[in-house]
Amino acid sequence: MRPLTPRRIAGICALLAGVLFIVVVFSLQVGAYPISVRDVAMTLVRGALGHWNSIPSSDRLIVFGLRLPRIALGILVGAALSVSGASFQALLRNPLADPYVLGVSSGAALGAILALVWLQRFPWAMQGLAFLGALATIAAVYFLGRRKGQLDSATLLLAGIITASFLSAIIMFLMTTVSGRDMRGMAFWLMGDLGTAPAIGLGFLFFILLIGIGAIYTTSSDLNLILTGEQEAHHLGVNVPRVKLVVYASASLLTGLAVSVSGAIGYVGLLVPHVMRMLFGSDYRVLIPASAIGGAIAVALADTLARTVVAPTELPVGAVTAAIGAPVFIYLLRRRLA
Amino acid sequence: MSTQGIPAPNAGRDAAADWMQNPVRLLVEQASYAYSASDRDAPDFTLGPVTFSARQREVVGILGPNASGKSTLLRLLSGEFKPLSGRVELDGKPPSQLPLRERAQRIAMVHQESALTFPLRVWEYVLQGRYPYGRRLRFENEADCLMAENALAQVGAKALLDRRMDQLSGGEGQRVILARALAQQPLLLLLDEPTQHLDIGGKVELMRRLRKLAEGNRYTVVVVTHELNLAAEFFDSIVLVQRGKCLASGKPADVYRRELLEQAFETELDVEMNASGKPRVILRGGEETEIAEDSAETPKESQ
Amino acid sequence: MNAKQMNAKQTTREVIDETGRHVAVPVAVHRIVTLAPNLAEIVYALGAQDRLVGVSNYSDSPPEAKSKPRIGMPTNPNLEAVVAAHPDIVLITTEGNRRETADELARLGIAVYATNPHSVESMLESIEHIGGVIGATAQAESVVANLRQRLNALQSKLASAPVARVFFVVGESPLISLGEHTFIADALRYAGARSVVQAKQDWPQISLEELVRLNPDYLVFASSGFGGEDSTAKQLAELRSEAGWRELAAVREGRVVVVSDEIDLPAPGLIDAIEKLARQLHPNVFEDAAQHASLRPLSASVPAHAHLQFTVSQDSCTEALACAR
Repeated sequence: MRPLTPRRIAGICALLAGVLFIVVVFSLQVGAYPISVRDVAMTLVRGALGHWNSIPSSDRLIVFGLRLPRIALGILVGAALSVSGASFQALLRNPLADPYVLGVSSGAALGAILALVWLQRFPWAMQGLAFLGALATIAAVYFLGRRKGQLDSATLLLAGIITASFLSAIIMFLMTTVSGRDMRGMAFWLMGDLGTAPAIGLGFLFFILLIGIGAIYTTSSDLNLILTGEQEAHHLGVNVPRVKLVVYASASLLTGLAVSVSGAIGYVGLLVPHVMRMLFGSDYRVLIPASAIGGAIAVALADTLARTVVAPTELPVGAVTAAIGAPVFIYLLRRRLA
Repeated sequence: MSTQGIPAPNAGRDAAADWMQNPVRLLVEQASYAYSASDRDAPDFTLGPVTFSARQREVVGILGPNASGKSTLLRLLSGEFKPLSGRVELDGKPPSQLPLRERAQRIAMVHQESALTFPLRVWEYVLQGRYPYGRRLRFENEADCLMAENALAQVGAKALLDRRMDQLSGGEGQRVILARALAQQPLLLLLDEPTQHLDIGGKVELMRRLRKLAEGNRYTVVVVTHELNLAAEFFDSIVLVQRGKCLASGKPADVYRRELLEQAFETELDVEMNASGKPRVILRGGEETEIAEDSAETPKESQ
Repeated sequence: MNAKQMNAKQTTREVIDETGRHVAVPVAVHRIVTLAPNLAEIVYALGAQDRLVGVSNYSDSPPEAKSKPRIGMPTNPNLEAVVAAHPDIVLITTEGNRRETADELARLGIAVYATNPHSVESMLESIEHIGGVIGATAQAESVVANLRQRLNALQSKLASAPVARVFFVVGESPLISLGEHTFIADALRYAGARSVVQAKQDWPQISLEELVRLNPDYLVFASSGFGGEDSTAKQLAELRSEAGWRELAAVREGRVVVVSDEIDLPAPGLIDAIEKLARQLHPNVFEDAAQHASLRPLSASVPAHAHLQFTVSQDSCTEALACAR
């Protein structure tokens, strides 16, 4: 018997953070613009020390203007999607749940396409309306997914699927009316794109990310119990309706956040929690932080591949996650069945 | 109707003294409940009023045909439902008014085995029984681990410590679920038809164990079951319900009267006493016959 | 604010690009990057190819452009590659590039000039604007003047010809044609044709029934989807075997044209495509004077109104002969 201790969790997080660090260093160093590792390191150090003027302008531009923000955004989105996926898998007691199963990304997509059609003049309209679309969907699915006043897993799942399907129909209709140039922007959004800087500062987004993950983390013991059955958890003292509400709201917000700034990147929210479970077990007290860092690693790596594998052409990051994710998914499936 | 376990006034000082040492822990007095499809509809199902009580180290059985309200009664005891009238008290406090975690420290419910979404080890599962103690997000300490091991030992499942839950047999799983309930260190242990998937040997073993646990850990145990004879053999008192009505409550010998049981289960049967003074129910086989309202035969009864 | 921006302040001027953005353009432009194929073609036409340091993928026209360094697809250019080219100005177009790309480049302090070609005329204006921005004003004026003159000549040739009713096939199944406001629809007008489809959407889907009802004079296919410009005969043969299509008068009489992709490219090559298309739609107007005596065999019977034109245009053929000598 080896009960989970905070030390073990810290150790796992440190290990994963180490891997993330290596991925970040690697990603900072590769790209169409040639900078040596040494120069990257010097730029980072000087930047950290505040000696901005001693850094060559193009190095600074590439490292701090292009690569670092993009990697940071990838970390943000990866962490948000993975934690959200793990949360929905617990909430719905379904290993196939992913961040998009409750329709949040469809709502965001609708917001994005409406921005494209009506608010073309405004630069941040797409991200803003995408987030609003996500919020509206979260509220709608919440009200549809209740039974006897509280969230019911089966009803929630149905509500999410139906909402997503309905929104997709509206999106398809709108896409037939949209002009060619707008389609391009939409198609990009649907495939996932980390190249556009977010409307709101990255610092603020990370703050929201931490709050969302923190809120879910406080329920991680509860989730462990809920996974053995809601009745059982209730009789062990878990306030099941409240936990479900907190998890639903926080996970949906995280998804809405991620999707607004980067479009719908698939497979990450579904698979990273499963891989982390295989490595570290199903206890949510370790699974939540592990998924967050694991997701960050996955997306940062995928995006680096997306922008370097067939340079100068950039692949959409969603294509890379799908190309890698689908075989991984099949492998996981076979292992469980075997 | 027979007595409720509180000694009659003229039972003597010994009985009174005994009662002081072993006070009533679980008190159910005229408790009732009703379900309806919506707030405005008339109730679809009504339970009660039910009256019985139980002390420490006592095992109570709730018996009755299907849909008689047994599970509803259990949920009144667990605090999930609040009685519409009357009262339910555990050591003087109504369970439904206790905060959830406190409730879980006093009352443990043993469920049927259900499929786990993700694989879990036995020790992880049993450790979850310690959840009601300490903060919500807490990490188990050595004391918790000892208690979990102890709980497994008490159900004879210590060897299963490192096994995976989905690899256990029905009986083994049942024991682990029971162990988790024991890890809660409750005052009241509730079981809902625990013998359903067990063979005869498993059933007897479970009953024996419940008896031992009640004695050893001073639990009050309430079991919803169909097992008429095992209940009579091992339990201290029986509550017989049918269609939401409490037909009788008291010692098995008092409750197992032929006409009562035939009325409850709507089937012909005989009741006889066995060597140790406990009643035994024998089903009559053969063709369907109408239950005689007043039988010419003298029923074989004790007392 | 990065160093580049600080230096640029002294040597830039502000212009307003075709989408209304205010751009600080360097006074001296030595390094140009284009993010769409038509823009590369325009830069070559303006004689500024020596200053072109980066082009988008598939910038193949003119063929020399293939040797220029690639910086990615128009929708998703590799920003690092763009920065690595150290451009003084980046040219983009609303037809092919995303707004987000422009915003990102602006955020990095790189001057971005956006064109917005929605008609043939606006394309000509774009060439002038681009010439002004990159410091090739004189070349721009001469290029545009030449293109305008060709268009005017075409107009006068086609003045007496009836407007050909054309159905432009963007895709065969599903059957997709052009909307009224598309670039190609405008180009068709210069070729003496008119798209029979009346739709506000850019790429409306049309049913075969509707196509039969419209009964266009000509079917025009864009070459990239249909096997290249020389595939007219093959295309016609295929259509003749398909139900629905073979009922069309245009198919029965062989009035099927495959046009080069340049028809959709807002660049000087567009005028070539328009001229070629005009020739194919109004062959009688452009018949060589030397051949006017013999009936040049058309792939099928000659439409009724063509006879009239044949007689009317004999004079213009004689005129052309006179000029040729």
